[in-house]
Amino acid sequence: MTRRELLERCVVSGALVLTTSLSLPALAAEWNESEKKRKPTPYCELGPFYKREAPHTSTLWAPGDSGMPLALSGVVYGTRGEIVPDAKVEIWQADIDGHYDIDGYRFRALLSPGPKGAYAIESIVPGHYPSRVCQHVHFLTTAPGHKPLITQMYFATDPVFEGNPDKNYTRDPLINSRDLVRPVMIKSDAQRSVAVVTFDLVMETV
Amino acid sequence: MARLISLTFALLFALPAAAASDVANILLPCDSRYQVLSPDGVQVAVRCKDHSLHVLSVPDGKELRVIPAEPRADTVAYSPEGLSMAIGFHDGNIEVASSKGSTVVKRWHASARPIEALRFFPDAKMLVAGPADSDAQVWEFAESPKLRATLPSDFGGIMDCAVSPDGKVLVVAGGDTVLHWYDTGTWQKTLENRDFLLDTFALAFTPDGKKVLVGGADARITVLDAATAKQVRQLPREAGSSVAVLDVFGDQQIAAIYFDDAGEKPPHELIWRLSDAKVMGRSDTAPTCEGVVGGKLWSCTVEGRTVRISQSE
Repeated sequence: MTRRELLERCVVSGALVLTTSLSLPALAAEWNESEKKRKPTPYCELGPFYKREAPHTSTLWAPGDSGMPLALSGVVYGTRGEIVPDAKVEIWQADIDGHYDIDGYRFRALLSPGPKGAYAIESIVPGHYPSRVCQHVHFLTTAPGHKPLITQMYFATDPVFEGNPDKNYTRDPLINSRDLVRPVMIKSDAQRSVAVVTFDLVMETV
Repeated sequence: MARLISLTFALLFALPAAAASDVANILLPCDSRYQVLSPDGVQVAVRCKDHSLHVLSVPDGKELRVIPAEPRADTVAYSPEGLSMAIGFHDGNIEVASSKGSTVVKRWHASARPIEALRFFPDAKMLVAGPADSDAQVWEFAESPKLRATLPSDFGGIMDCAVSPDGKVLVVAGGDTVLHWYDTGTWQKTLENRDFLLDTFALAFTPDGKKVLVGGADARITVLDAATAKQVRQLPREAGSSVAVLDVFGDQQIAAIYFDDAGEKPPHELIWRLSDAKVMGRSDTAPTCEGVVGGKLWSCTVEGRTVRISQSE
């Protein structure tokens, strides 16, 4: 890439304003920073069924649970694109019938993503909670030096969206951002099909 | 909290009315599942499905004021004597108005987040505001509105709060499931209770200020010693439900509205006697508002486009 090309790309990306006196390495660094920056994950309500002291587990389903298997994973980032290595991710959801476990900890987990910031759970696609429009999974992510992130993840395959989440995501009044509706990839083998969803979590610093 | 109550009331169906004497039957200006009664019983604020807010006089139903759907009013609170009304807006503004003349007295921008909880202090010169997912704020508004304190929680903003009858203690239920006690003279946190694993949605002091009643997703009312924040007793669980609203009235009676955790049945109300933890009455009329007026329990039920305001016998 020429200096001119780099300059043009930086200006287009908004990373560079009136900094034409920068050296090439400085511009490259600026460009790299700009490429890495991430938008904070939008807030979405905590809801009434958060429960403290969830178990440390990545397997939320139990043998005999009905429902479409779900493999949900992601990485916890800061807004500069850096990994947040010491985050805690709490996840809770309804069962296939749309019920939350209040007395126990079914479909609840506390994860420690570790130095790579990656988390992954095996669960089922939740049912529809009767007083909510869309299927959803709750997240509470905390990390030293970062604002707690409370949000919910939605499935682009939810029948409510009628195949067009871009147009129809506001049918659930609690979905305040299209970014919270994630694509679902179905992976199948001879034995079963699994809904695979990735949902990265981007935290703001305090 | 307002969102939770709104969600609860959104589930309501019109059911046969329970035994109670009518105070008023008022034609609603809109489809509404959530109202707020003034403590003096002369007004009802009607929150409409289209997000507008209509203030009506009781019992004649005369429309005193309309707050349009934009900017959206998210929460409403009356001062203890009913003379002032505060409205929290979705755009983070707070407005305090004289409820008699409906004149806006003060309006200020409190937060970038929607205001989801409001509670007046007994002197009606300060109020607690709960912006969504943010620390609680204490505002003094007798003069130019001034932020007196911010009251942090670990996360999740506030679910509800209660001020002691003498105004000296504020208890805040955070979304972090922790109950925080504050000295309103210094705004220092004096006590906390971390015994709850689930969120608290309703808090109330007993009239003598000695106990704090706590209700939430654990399906029961817990009685705490206001001086120590320690549990004194728990009333029996109402399985499969969460306590959404608590009011203390008469001779240590508690009115509690429960919503169905499964979201399938309409809310119901139980009247408890605190002294012996006995249920004194049950109502399945699905109240859309509740309040204590002149020491008596008032509640609303909606049937079609009419809100029935009644007083428990």
